[in-house]
Amino acid sequence: MPKEYLGEFEELVLTLVAALQEDAYGAAITDEIESRLKRGVNLSAVHVTLYRLQDKGLIKSSLGGATNERGGRRKRIYTITSAGLAMLRAMKEARIDLWKMIPQLKTSGV
Amino acid sequence: MSRFQNLALRFLHSFCPPDLVEEIEGDLLQRYGRDAAQYNESRAGRRMLWNAIRFFRPGILIRNKTNFSLNLWYMIGNYFKVASRVMVRNKSYSAINIFGLAMGITGAILLFLWIQKEFSYDQFHADKDRIYKAWSRNTIDGQLQCWDHTPRVLAPALQENYSSVEEAVSYADYKAAYLFTVGNTRLMMNSGAFTEPKFFTMFSFPLVKGDPTKVFDNPASVVLTESFAKKLFGDKDAFDETVTIGESGYSFPMTVSGIVKDLPSNTDFHFDYLIPFKFMEDLEGADTNWENSSVSTYVKLKKGSSLESFNREISGITKKHSKAGNTTEVFLYPLTKMRLYSRFENGVQAGGRIEVMRIMGILGVCLIVIACINFINLSTARAQKRSKEVGIRKVTGANRSSLILQFICESVLVALGAGVLSIMAVYLTLPLFSTLVRQQLSLDLQNITFWGAAFTCIVFVGIMAGGYPAFYLSSFNPVKVLKGSPLRFGSRNFLRKFLVVLQFGFAVTLIFSVVVIQRQLEFVQNRETGYTKDNLIYHYMTGDIGKNYAAYKTDLLQSGAVESVTKTNSPITEGWSNTWALGWHGKDPQSKILIDRFYIDEDISKTAGLKIIAGRDMNLTKFPSDSTAILLNESAAKIMGFKNPINEIIEDSGIQWHVVGVVKDFILSSPFQKVRPMAIMGGKGWFTVVHIKLNSNRPVQESISAISKLFTKHNSAYPFDYYFVDQAYNRKFADAKTTLTITTVFGSLAISIACLGLLGLSTYMIESRIKEIGIRKVMGSSAMNIVKLLSTDTLKPILIALVLFSPQAWWSMNWWLQSFDYRISISPWIFVGTAAIIVTIAMVTIGSQTVQAAKANPVNSLRSE
Repeated sequence: MPKEYLGEFEELVLTLVAALQEDAYGAAITDEIESRLKRGVNLSAVHVTLYRLQDKGLIKSSLGGATNERGGRRKRIYTITSAGLAMLRAMKEARIDLWKMIPQLKTSGV
Repeated sequence: MSRFQNLALRFLHSFCPPDLVEEIEGDLLQRYGRDAAQYNESRAGRRMLWNAIRFFRPGILIRNKTNFSLNLWYMIGNYFKVASRVMVRNKSYSAINIFGLAMGITGAILLFLWIQKEFSYDQFHADKDRIYKAWSRNTIDGQLQCWDHTPRVLAPALQENYSSVEEAVSYADYKAAYLFTVGNTRLMMNSGAFTEPKFFTMFSFPLVKGDPTKVFDNPASVVLTESFAKKLFGDKDAFDETVTIGESGYSFPMTVSGIVKDLPSNTDFHFDYLIPFKFMEDLEGADTNWENSSVSTYVKLKKGSSLESFNREISGITKKHSKAGNTTEVFLYPLTKMRLYSRFENGVQAGGRIEVMRIMGILGVCLIVIACINFINLSTARAQKRSKEVGIRKVTGANRSSLILQFICESVLVALGAGVLSIMAVYLTLPLFSTLVRQQLSLDLQNITFWGAAFTCIVFVGIMAGGYPAFYLSSFNPVKVLKGSPLRFGSRNFLRKFLVVLQFGFAVTLIFSVVVIQRQLEFVQNRETGYTKDNLIYHYMTGDIGKNYAAYKTDLLQSGAVESVTKTNSPITEGWSNTWALGWHGKDPQSKILIDRFYIDEDISKTAGLKIIAGRDMNLTKFPSDSTAILLNESAAKIMGFKNPINEIIEDSGIQWHVVGVVKDFILSSPFQKVRPMAIMGGKGWFTVVHIKLNSNRPVQESISAISKLFTKHNSAYPFDYYFVDQAYNRKFADAKTTLTITTVFGSLAISIACLGLLGLSTYMIESRIKEIGIRKVMGSSAMNIVKLLSTDTLKPILIALVLFSPQAWWSMNWWLQSFDYRISISPWIFVGTAAIIVTIAMVTIGSQTVQAAKANPVNSLRSE
């Protein structure tokens, strides 16, 4: 695993960039977090996180098309880099390893 | 787009890096669209604004690349170049601006150096936040009074009985003079103090030699300051050496157990040597009297102790210990507040020196404001001259912000010039100002903080002075100014007049104060003292003079150099003793009237020229019983309510004194206050001073040298130090004179700056009305009429200032006068005088130009168009 660590929110945003693919830009990611996780999130927070991930080289970006609903402004579409994907994968595996250490809990016997 | 959307986008643009702005805008708009569908437009707009505001965060802000483009640097260089050219082209105008600002800044710097010094008093002690001075509080004459002296026993009692006390020390400077002898060096010094062993662990006065915890382990030891040690021992090391300290016939060898670094000038402690109380108490016994507030007590509380609860604990300490039922309460007051906040009124903290400092601070700010007003007025008045330049710059593509920057650069340049001048001026005038305010002020030119602060302030002054003109000048419409249409001046004119009124308002207040202070000082100086000051000297009864007094006096009188001799307990210019414990027939037992005590042996009316208005003076030869005689002054006789005071009995400290006469009131302490009731008691008292009336028919120097010989004959070990009473009396006016000088200096400064501005304005006005004057003259107006026309315009704001600011000046000077019992009342003539002074100064300022303009030949001004 590389020396860089990701915070919980960073990991969340990175995952969504990977998941949304062609449609990964600030507002969409925010919408997605709000609707799927039922979690209030600040647009500026998502943007700042995206910029930070890009600085770390985990995602890259290019300007996409303009749409009417955006008042003619172009989107910045983010795509995950292979480093980002490796990072996600490593984190997921580390999680699973840790999960395995937890004794199987039984819900009976209450 | 809605208002909120606009606002949100504009706000975003103001801080967001350009490469991120598009996508963020897009996202914001997209959200807006969604919100608008879900709620309504206005709510969506508000949410959008809020979202935009939340982008104002470090994660976005630091992505701004700070790149001053070369272009901007180039332009700033250009601005300074243009600014310096403009300044050189209008030499008189730039000189007025620079000198005006320089005067204002100089005054302000001097004042702020002083204020800073006052605020630094006793702030250098390491534990200053835990050190307190003990105060006493009791009702006297029906008023709750506070004073910062306490009984000698307080410190040991606090130290022993209260767990939150870390250290408590007594400290007293009795101002008694001792003779210090080392080898052949003999010095009389009264600048020492008594204290206790823990003094040096409580306060941060570093010792050059000696252990701060052990210096007073041996009672027969003394701590000297470095410079005093040098005076006594020369270049020899004084530490552990012996110095002989003598007082009235006794002398004691003392070991120098420590040498303290010379005290900094920002402390209220003043001593050249320190002697432990223990030494004196081993000889005379300890003062265990809880009624006698004779020393200062300092207390250092343990960390975390609360002052309030401690004060509650100790308030009744005197009552608990006092056998005589003394009800004086004790409370602690922070050491750090002693310098500036130590005046109590009716038991409540009511200011102190801080009031003076506040006034000085306001004065400093006002001086700068007056100077800035000059700059603003001259720049806006001359706007027409710069309007073409502004037009051209705008047409060739300058936007308003760069024009503003340009004009600010100009004013900053002027302010920098003024700043450099004023730092030089401060450097030159600081020694003078230091003597004036009796403070050692210094300008620390090596200190980088000072330069930083100075630079920031000067730039700030530049922006303050240049800000408004910059906005105004940059607002011109290029089409209009280039077409040559005149600027509309209506509201600017009003603003300018208003600012001139403000300027002269300050000047009026200050000049008025100068006049009032001057009158008050003269009034008090001319007050009847009640005794004759001429040819009267006094000296202290040092060494053997007390023992040999009778023989010394006889010799003096026989020498012919002297008319009369009287010994007293204090110089006639100082009251050293007072009491409310005198008893007399018919006194209300509840009354606590403070009565001054003064002791004489005899012949006071002959020596000091006091007027006896009833009875007789004391005379021990004729009336040996006069050793318990007493003279009352008029006020005392009146307060005691005697119809015929002669032969009444007055009791003090267990002695019955019989009244032999009444003297006319004379000024013992302050000529500014009313004369307090006074009892002059006879030979049974204590004596420290000899007053000698010189023979007025002989030259003073001859008499003095004759007295000096007799003094040495009877007291060979001590030097003959004498003082003239009239000089001592004049020193009472030193404070008032200082106040007068300070007010005069700053008053003149204020009015000079204001007049500089006036000069600039009137020069400009005349210049721009030169054609009008020409036409008027051609049409038949006389030179006198023109002068009238031009000067009414200039004088109007000054007259308005006089009317508007006089009440406030009256009010503040009335407040100042309230602090004196003996004072003038402010008559309308003072207002008239102030007005006359100011109008005259203003007329002189603008006079020559106005007359010149009025006398000019109209042909010259009308010839060219």
